[in-house]
Amino acid sequence: MAFPLPRGITPPEISFLAEMEMVTILPRQRLEGLELLGGPVEPLLPPRRASLPLWLALLLKRQRRANILPPTWLHPESLSLILEIETQHHEYQHAFSPPPPLPGQPSLRDRGQRPVAVPRYTPDGGRYYPAPPFLPQNVAQDHVPSGEPPSLPFHWLEVGTMLLDAASDDLVDPDQTRRLLKELREVRTAKIRSGVDVLDVASTGGGGVALTGVGAMEVGEGRGFIAGVVDGLRKIGASKEQARREQMAEDMANGGYDATQDDDDDMEF
Amino acid sequence: MDIDDILASVDRNDVSTPESAALDHQLLTRFWVAERGVSELLPWPEALMNRMMERVRKQIETIEDLAASSSDPTTTNNSNNNPTLNLKLSILQTDLSRTQYLLRSILRQRISKLTKNSMHYLLRVSSAASSQPSQQHPDSQNNSDQQPEDSIPDLTAVTDPSPLSSQELDFLRAHQTLLAGHFGASFLGSFPAQLRRLDDNAGGVSMVQGPDPREVVFVRCLVESVGVVVPPGDGVEVETVGTEMRMGDVWVVRWEGVRGAWERGEVEVL
Amino acid sequence: MSYYDIDSILTDAQKLPCTFELEVPGLGILEGNPGDNIKAGTRIDLPLWLGEMLSIGARLGTSRLVTLDIPSALSERVMNALKADPRTVDLRALAPHFYSLSERVLELFEEEEMVDVLINTFKKRASEIADHAHNPKGALGDGVEFLRGLDETERQLFRVAHDSAKETRIWAGEAKKR
Repeated sequence: MAFPLPRGITPPEISFLAEMEMVTILPRQRLEGLELLGGPVEPLLPPRRASLPLWLALLLKRQRRANILPPTWLHPESLSLILEIETQHHEYQHAFSPPPPLPGQPSLRDRGQRPVAVPRYTPDGGRYYPAPPFLPQNVAQDHVPSGEPPSLPFHWLEVGTMLLDAASDDLVDPDQTRRLLKELREVRTAKIRSGVDVLDVASTGGGGVALTGVGAMEVGEGRGFIAGVVDGLRKIGASKEQARREQMAEDMANGGYDATQDDDDDMEF
Repeated sequence: MDIDDILASVDRNDVSTPESAALDHQLLTRFWVAERGVSELLPWPEALMNRMMERVRKQIETIEDLAASSSDPTTTNNSNNNPTLNLKLSILQTDLSRTQYLLRSILRQRISKLTKNSMHYLLRVSSAASSQPSQQHPDSQNNSDQQPEDSIPDLTAVTDPSPLSSQELDFLRAHQTLLAGHFGASFLGSFPAQLRRLDDNAGGVSMVQGPDPREVVFVRCLVESVGVVVPPGDGVEVETVGTEMRMGDVWVVRWEGVRGAWERGEVEVL
Repeated sequence: MSYYDIDSILTDAQKLPCTFELEVPGLGILEGNPGDNIKAGTRIDLPLWLGEMLSIGARLGTSRLVTLDIPSALSERVMNALKADPRTVDLRALAPHFYSLSERVLELFEEEEMVDVLINTFKKRASEIADHAHNPKGALGDGVEFLRGLDETERQLFRVAHDSAKETRIWAGEAKKR
């Protein structure tokens, strides 16, 4: 009864997850509201727009029952701007362009502000903070707040690829969009690969490497390799880490340990 | 409809609303990704799974009723309704299959982890049940009747099977008993009695293997900040805190460094 | 050491130079002279698991049977070559389980500098491995020689990088299944 899949969700599963992203559609027929296991679906009343999970939007699109309004970031203009950030900005030379903020996280414009995460509560009383694919990062927006640079959502590659496949006639300039997505993918893959040099900071206890802005499919593609390198580095450095920990224990016993000295381990790609 | 509105309207005490279905779906999805991404078995989310199974059962009833009405000859007079009825049915069925995929994938992933490290989980559950350090097999070295099955710990005192579900514990005990019997019959039976155990640690190498909590995972920080911890060990008696992750960050870190934060819902596994 | 892990078992079978401190009656079989005694000062290569067991006295501070030495795969000469250019060294020829062997040796010897050299080596070679693994046409040119010289840990790394790149291309419709 072996489970054949490797650790971490695979590309088809990542795609499946991305199909839970909400998108905006323009229905071409009426349909009453539905109660699905994935949550309620609002009634379809042309010509009123509706927000649906991508899998359902694609199902309707394939049967010509709806058109999909592409998300704001998927316009060639937005993609060119993002590509410029990824390639031209010194700040993002080794990092990904900033992702859309989570609810309660200040947007790029008001970066100085403090984030405030507001939890919802599960029926069991646990805290729940929503994240992609359950945030409206791929719905069409009529009014983009001025001064807000476009950003790539977590499931950018999957949503973009699926919309190009099934709804290219709904996109502004599908050929240009496809080219830009491909270019973005290449630029960003190169960043992941050049990041091997800093992976040793993730290989010691309490350390880590930031990949903020990375996409879901990019995590899927890099997971095995990155985890393999970090685990390899951890094993090679195990004796040294142990010696350091023992030294720390000794310092603590002598009252000389300063809890802040360990804190400079973080580093960005 | 905005997701925020859906979630904001969730009444904690009423799990029968469509809005609470949306929340449970999100919780299930997040748990699936985590179970697939972490090498150790995560605590079985009993209440969530019970609610999901109940919802699936009801949804299957709804679909069967709808399908019956579509084929019912007495209702064919409103045949102009049928096109949307078929569409509705195909949507409901797709949604059901998607949920079933999640449930099945979670269960299969868990069984794969359990059978890979079966002795580890059996010993973990049984030692949590007995307050005393489980008295290791009194005369294991001399008992000439010893069989591989004797390595399987006594689970009669177990009241809390966590992190397994009670069905998983039943499965695992049966699985390990079959495996031990098979090993015994096919080769261990011809070994000297003291070499027939499945939980030996002679020579400093334990036969009982567990998942490595130091393997790295990809996580997203969902709250203002989360510190990556280093559990006590190597002579250091307290937990120390290393790197700090900030809201919206994605990090590659050791699982043991964020396990607590994951349990509190402060990070999600990607 | 991991009970069911074949790579771990094979690592333990790799050899380590051992010097006998005492004369041991009847152990000449290790030198290929069954029946004879093994003399004090004899230096022979023994598998890691055996050498480690015989050297235990040394670590307990009592009289020791053998003292261990660092294997030639991790000699000063190799470390210098790795410092000069980690990519040109054929690790597989040195030891098929080069890094696993290093981990075990580093448990026995305190060699901080060796850790640093090996970490740098592993990182440099890992990025080279990633480059080759992402090439859909497979290894070409000097790549072939480099890949042939990968140790077992690196081979697994290459395999996982290659497989996930391929799976992603299949998902994107850029490659066919099988």
